[in-house]
Amino acid sequence: MASLGIDVLFKGTNFLRLLQGLWVSIEISLIAVVLSIVLGLLVGMLMTVENKLLKVILKIYLETVRIMPQMVLLFIVYFGTTRVFGWDMSAESSAIFVFTFWGTAEMGDLVRGSIKSIPNIQFESAFALGMDKIQTYLYIILPQTVRRLIPLSINLITRMIKTTSLVMMIGIVEVLKVAQQIIEANRKVSPNAAFGVFAVVFLLYFLVCWPISRLSVYLEKRWA
Amino acid sequence: MKNTIVKKLTTSLLATSLITASFTACGSSDNTSSDTSATAESASSESSDSSAPFRTLDEIKESGTINIGVFSDKSPFGYVDENGEYAGYDVYFAERIGEDLGVEINYVSTEAANRIEYLQTGKVDIILANFTVTEERAEEVDFALPYMNVALGVISPDDAVIESLDDIGADNQVIVISGTTAETYLTKNYPDIKLQKYDAYAEAKTAFENGNGVAWANDNTEVIAFSIENEGYTVGIPSLGDQDTIAPAVTKGNESLLNWLNEEIESLGTENFFHADYEATLLDTYGADYEDTLVVEQ
Amino acid sequence: MNKDILIEYLPLYKDALILTLKIGWQGILLAFVIGLIGSAILHFKIRVLKSIVGVYIELFRNTPLLVQLFFIYFALPKVGIQVSAEACGILGLGLLGGAYMIETFRSGLEAIPTIQNESALSLGMNDFQTLWHVILPQAVSISVPGLLANVIFLLKETSVFSTISLMDLMFTAKDLIGMYAKTIECLFLLVVFYLIMLLPISILGAVIERRMRYGQFGD
Repeated sequence: MASLGIDVLFKGTNFLRLLQGLWVSIEISLIAVVLSIVLGLLVGMLMTVENKLLKVILKIYLETVRIMPQMVLLFIVYFGTTRVFGWDMSAESSAIFVFTFWGTAEMGDLVRGSIKSIPNIQFESAFALGMDKIQTYLYIILPQTVRRLIPLSINLITRMIKTTSLVMMIGIVEVLKVAQQIIEANRKVSPNAAFGVFAVVFLLYFLVCWPISRLSVYLEKRWA
Repeated sequence: MKNTIVKKLTTSLLATSLITASFTACGSSDNTSSDTSATAESASSESSDSSAPFRTLDEIKESGTINIGVFSDKSPFGYVDENGEYAGYDVYFAERIGEDLGVEINYVSTEAANRIEYLQTGKVDIILANFTVTEERAEEVDFALPYMNVALGVISPDDAVIESLDDIGADNQVIVISGTTAETYLTKNYPDIKLQKYDAYAEAKTAFENGNGVAWANDNTEVIAFSIENEGYTVGIPSLGDQDTIAPAVTKGNESLLNWLNEEIESLGTENFFHADYEATLLDTYGADYEDTLVVEQ
Repeated sequence: MNKDILIEYLPLYKDALILTLKIGWQGILLAFVIGLIGSAILHFKIRVLKSIVGVYIELFRNTPLLVQLFFIYFALPKVGIQVSAEACGILGLGLLGGAYMIETFRSGLEAIPTIQNESALSLGMNDFQTLWHVILPQAVSISVPGLLANVIFLLKETSVFSTISLMDLMFTAKDLIGMYAKTIECLFLLVVFYLIMLLPISILGAVIERRMRYGQFGD
């Protein structure tokens, strides 16, 4: 009971590896968030288009994302696609694909909401000035929605970082898997390492996500 | 209002049927080659000829790297040491394979339950993760020559040693790792025993230490190692079920790699490589007593 | 896809669904209770407790459920706190959900005009009576769409229970794939069962949201 296993983290490169594992999670989230924002803007604009077929397709897409757990999507993409289509996706690209698939739907819905909240008169005025549809979106509508979206997309980053804890299940060596490896390699000398190591992982996640979610709250209040 | 409900219902149903359809579409092609459930997976090897989910020996050599699936939390067979390097009995062998092939090794950390999946989807070239040869598995993957002996064993705490599976009460749970031979064996032969299943070795061992189950059933090599390394545990059942062997596995149909592996294992036998492997990686844990029972040389 | 395999596996998935729902509803109930108590504490700005609730919300909203479960299940026993897998699942889901429920209830509470509070107090009701008879009934009904969203979110999160040996839907799929490698059938059943579990709630949520909007227009 003397040791709670914190000391294990300072052996060899253990702590550094834990941080590297964390970076893997952050990297996947960041790439997915950037892709989600870009694709989400596009999908969000498509959602406002009056076209029945398009509406149905996008509705199905949204509903799928809303109902299926991310872990299920990860399994389907990582193991299912190779079986069905013969694609060989690495675990990392599968994770980024799933996170982008999820994030795009969320962003798209947010974009749709904020485009809808822009008064119709702005569209009409822009058209009256002789702008075409693309110009109207590019110069009038998007700049207004983007500002509203920034806090929300920052919030999405923290949710993605939290969800990256699942990628361990498809063989990506991220912070939680490194934690297990450290516990395993030191089981003999430090049988209580599970406490210290998992506590540190808990704390690391908090230290990454907390400032980001504070920033999002701050921006939301300021720009609201 | 009604309208929107109907809309939502129909889209949701459409979503369901779409997913269903895409699954059945892919399934039907599988079905043409096999109708009985026992051989359903022969389909995967058949389709592999067209889309080749594996890399041949030449392709591996050309690419300069080989993907080998090993455990990263199963000491002393496959684990990651404190400097982040893979180590253990399986890894020692893997290093030699890389050396003799003249390629770099990319280690893929695998869980027990993923091993077949990794091979069938071509995500690794070889599984060297303490993979016991069984009939069921041989239908899914191709095993090379064995390099280790194994049976099942059951370990329990000193104060409540379980020496026979009949000692296990109706409410007691036995810890196993998902996708291991212990799980399959107990499920098949002792369906009344309640199993508590984990994905990873590290999780199962920690749960066992924490007293979440009355015993832990696994390869006897593994439970013996645990009883030697950790105080307070006894292997009450040292050998259960059949004597099996452990061998490298490749994707079904990957003959060039399989043949190379078999030749490699045979030639390594002439230099007593696996005895050296044992002495380098397992001696600390098992002592010399187990060397001849565990090691297999061709 | 092989029909015989689907039929053979069906009972296993059914058991898993029952377990998922059993743990799920207990966890959600716990989350609901934590949400009510926590939001009341924030509402009345009770000293000390208020800061504890604040820290709790930040801690559990900014860490993954998987890590929370690992900590409760694998780490706490090392300091002598033994938790069974089921209890850990319920506790983990309840604590995570509670942090979200508090926020949902609080936004419901904030939506009630202060004049109602003042009127109730001037009628001679005390703080608790005002909350219980006047504010809470309205706040809860305003929160319903948010609550249902939380319920879906929490039921989805149960998919990580598989890591602490609870045989939920995700676990059953993973386990069967590991033993018999019938990947496509297993994943297909997994998708179908999640749809069976969550689609009705999602539809209910949409219906209620429409109704609420109707109600609000009458204001």
